[in-house]
Amino acid sequence: MKAPLKIVVTGPVGAGKSTLIRTLAKEGYVDTDARATEDIGKKTTTVAMDHAVIDVEGTPLHVFGTPGQERFDYMWEILAEGALGTLLLVRADRPGDLPKARQIFEFILSQSEIPYVVGVTHLDADVAWAPEEIALFLRTDPALAVGFDPRDPRDALRPFVRLLDALDGKR
Amino acid sequence: MTKQEQITQLLEALKRSLPEVREAMVASPDGLPIATLGSQDTAARIAAMAATALGLGRRIAQTTQLGGMKEVVVRGDQGYFVIYQTGDKGVLGVTVPADANLGLLHLEAREVARALADIL
Repeated sequence: MKAPLKIVVTGPVGAGKSTLIRTLAKEGYVDTDARATEDIGKKTTTVAMDHAVIDVEGTPLHVFGTPGQERFDYMWEILAEGALGTLLLVRADRPGDLPKARQIFEFILSQSEIPYVVGVTHLDADVAWAPEEIALFLRTDPALAVGFDPRDPRDALRPFVRLLDALDGKR
Repeated sequence: MTKQEQITQLLEALKRSLPEVREAMVASPDGLPIATLGSQDTAARIAAMAATALGLGRRIAQTTQLGGMKEVVVRGDQGYFVIYQTGDKGVLGVTVPADANLGLLHLEAREVARALADIL
């Protein structure tokens, strides 16, 4: 039996981590949303983790989503433990979040050098950076940047398919 | 009296009835400090962690069919950190040493948690 594939989904607040996992989870989805008491542009925020087992082209992925707010940064370390790949989500319309995204990203990769994909969301905004531009800022391979809509069940699979490819190269 | 003062008074009353209470704090369910008796340096961090523990505890309680979330107990070699749900608008975190009377702490802290739920 192959070991379960553990994937961590991370990124700044509002990038769409919980939305993505919720879209792909068929059942047994776990969220830890709490009502936001400050203005973060949405009503709730993840305080511990999201979890679901999702099916990507027949491969089950055990997906763990981190909180996005910095004060929960200890959860990155806890959830990244034993992860085989990571999906970093970034909004295309909030360049101000990019330094934060880079910080989270570098932290996860400093734990262990695991394959990653950069998922770019909110591409339908009036002013949006292209996924390749975001990859450039994050100093990653533009081929690893995937623009997608986390609300769309088919589109939401794309970054995971790309990540599985990256993982296959490693295995 | 402001809400802040009322909350601080409740925490002080808890410490008076249980002098072994080392730290007591109230945080919002999304992890921001509201009031704290104890170190200000770690208040923000502990507030975030209390919200994480309670948020996760709520899901564990649901998944294992334990019903509504009440409290989470962290027991270390040198003491306890107990997190109580205070309505749906806050969490109460209390630290006591390992030799504290946990039964008495629950009795007092649950009372405080109820009072906090009314204020928040």
